[in-house]
Amino acid sequence: MARIGSSFPTVASLRVRLPPGTERRRLGGLLLRSLAGIGGGYALAALATVVLSLSLPLARSEAVLVATMASFAVHAAAIIWAFAARSALRAVAGLLMAAALLTLIHLVMQGQLP
Amino acid sequence: MIGLGAALAYAGFVAMCLAMERHHEQVFRTRAIPPRRRRLLAALGWLLLAASALATVAASGWGLGLVLWAGVLTATAIPLSILLTYAPRVALVLAAAPLPAGLALLLSVS
Amino acid sequence: MKDGFRQSMAWLHRWAGLLVGWVLFAVFLTGTAAYLRPEISYWMRPELALSRPGPADAEVAVQAMQAMAPNSPSWFINLPDERDTTLRVFWREPGPRGRGFREAVLDPATGHPVEARETLGGEFFYRFHFQLHYVGVLWGRWIVSICAMFMLVAIVSGIITHRRIFADFFTFRPGKGQRSWLDGHNICAVLALPYHLMITYTGLVLFMLMVMPWGVDRAYPGGRAAFNAEAFGSAPPRARAGSAASLTPVLPLVQEAQRRWGGGRVGRVVVANPGDANATIQLVRADSERISYNPQSLTFDGPTGALLQDSGEGLPAAEVRGWMYGLHIGRFAGPLLRALFILSGLAGTAMVATGCVLWATKTRQQAARQGRVGFGTRLVEHLNVAAIAGLPLAMAAFFWANRLLPTGMPQRADWEVHVFFAAWVLCLLHPLFRRGRQAWVEQFAAGALAFALLPLLNALVTRRHLLTTLSEGDHVRAAFDLGLLGCALLLGALAWKVARHRPTPASIRVPAAIPRPGRSAEPAR
Repeated sequence: MARIGSSFPTVASLRVRLPPGTERRRLGGLLLRSLAGIGGGYALAALATVVLSLSLPLARSEAVLVATMASFAVHAAAIIWAFAARSALRAVAGLLMAAALLTLIHLVMQGQLP
Repeated sequence: MIGLGAALAYAGFVAMCLAMERHHEQVFRTRAIPPRRRRLLAALGWLLLAASALATVAASGWGLGLVLWAGVLTATAIPLSILLTYAPRVALVLAAAPLPAGLALLLSVS
Repeated sequence: MKDGFRQSMAWLHRWAGLLVGWVLFAVFLTGTAAYLRPEISYWMRPELALSRPGPADAEVAVQAMQAMAPNSPSWFINLPDERDTTLRVFWREPGPRGRGFREAVLDPATGHPVEARETLGGEFFYRFHFQLHYVGVLWGRWIVSICAMFMLVAIVSGIITHRRIFADFFTFRPGKGQRSWLDGHNICAVLALPYHLMITYTGLVLFMLMVMPWGVDRAYPGGRAAFNAEAFGSAPPRARAGSAASLTPVLPLVQEAQRRWGGGRVGRVVVANPGDANATIQLVRADSERISYNPQSLTFDGPTGALLQDSGEGLPAAEVRGWMYGLHIGRFAGPLLRALFILSGLAGTAMVATGCVLWATKTRQQAARQGRVGFGTRLVEHLNVAAIAGLPLAMAAFFWANRLLPTGMPQRADWEVHVFFAAWVLCLLHPLFRRGRQAWVEQFAAGALAFALLPLLNALVTRRHLLTTLSEGDHVRAAFDLGLLGCALLLGALAWKVARHRPTPASIRVPAAIPRPGRSAEPAR
């Protein structure tokens, strides 16, 4: 696992010094993190919105409003996490775990699981 | 009342600045602050900021008062940071502003 | 590992900020101008006379509408107040499509429409700041919402990155190149941080059902009408009866509303199906009276004046949303608070601008050490000039167009906007032909000149210039002209600063601030 310090060089300074394989891995990692944060984060926020909308113990319209208002905090947190995790794969795994947890809560609340 | 709130916020920020080495140096030309004085100044700063929040809330109620307070904090802190750079002594003198502001308020009430 | 975390946040902050920086700058600046929407609209219609709101305004407007648009399915009457003194009416055009809106400004004394030049006024800046222009309303809103999300990420990662901002709270060290830009960026960001967080998050909330519709769609499979009724208590409109009936006088209803709201003011009158037996008259409380934007309203039966519905405060979450909405648009704010909002908005504008400039300064220093300046750096520098110095100039061009385009011109309001964008495009091309800081100086100076000459132009082509407005007590127009001079001073000062600036040795090399690759002692900031 590469140290994160070296996977986030300042702007363009490292390009000339590292072997080409490292550079490709770095870009791949960044791409994966960006995709996980922006796309995966949006999906996670949407999932959280649906789950909370349907399961918060409030009036239906109130649950929808609370869930939707909170969704942007979820998305922002997911993006931060995607770039804060020690490796790109860890970032993806974390998001997937959060999604699985939400789905589980959803199923329990809907009475489809004991 | 809001004027008093602004004056208190400004004084609070000045007290907090004087508890920081860099700004202490700007005003008094030395970085050394006795630890007791530093704690006292920091506490005084927080106290004055809280008092300024009370003043704006007293003037406009909780909702509007707290919104106003946030605006007042910004509006007092930006001039302070400019004054500290270009006229640190003036920044210090202006911290006495709550006195005339409070007096003016007392006079206008009575 | 902790430094690694901060470094990755620094990377995120820098790129999230840069990618949308220019849009954010435009959104912040035009959004700040939108706090003055009624004032700008009033200044841009010099034909409107100074009027004072009176108790009979609603009655006058309803009678005028009965003469002008008796067959329209709905009328919207915005009553004047101390701040926006115009009596403005909108109505839906009758007919099968019924989508088109028409509008007019009425003279409160006679009810006759006032002939004013066709202009979007402050409405242009207001709409531009959340839906841009030329790209379609939906596209624009999506783009701005995405940029707002980037902004939120940039703020959070910025707080983590600039850990020391709270220790360096008030520090500004001028004349030190990159270090000074960083200090300026910090001051603008930290000292108005509550405002920045508030305005970004509430901005996202405004369009949340467009951006994040999944919750409401799953919870209300039948559609949004049921949601709106439950969440905001908006009753479905009554269908037309088909038989004619005349409207009851509206003045007693207005008095009834004021009594129920403890002296609160009516801001808007909405009449549905006027002339029909099922007409309704809805009185909406002025949005300057409460922070929450969830409107209080009373709905009366049109012919009899019987109270049909009294919608007040909503449920807690709906009220929270109303608060966020209200905080964002700031219409509740009196003059002092509005001034504070504008100050904070300008701080946000400066925060974005200094951030973009900081990015360019930093990469140029790195490039200088490597001996070549890349295309990316030059592109960022170029766009910085066009966005930061060009937008104020384009705004001035908009005001010039308002005064100079012939009043009878077809699509005049559109042409004012075209002039705005034409000026901006010129600012985008101009740096191609200029070296170094020349483009900055020239665009700032041109902006300063354009703003400074506006009051003069105003005196040449209208009667509402400083001499008359000051003597007649038309404070809004007088203050606006003075404000234009203030903008000119600010831009002039910027031009002078940039022109006078000589890179000192300190600004070329600031060892502590230059991040060294492979060393994590002083993480990139």
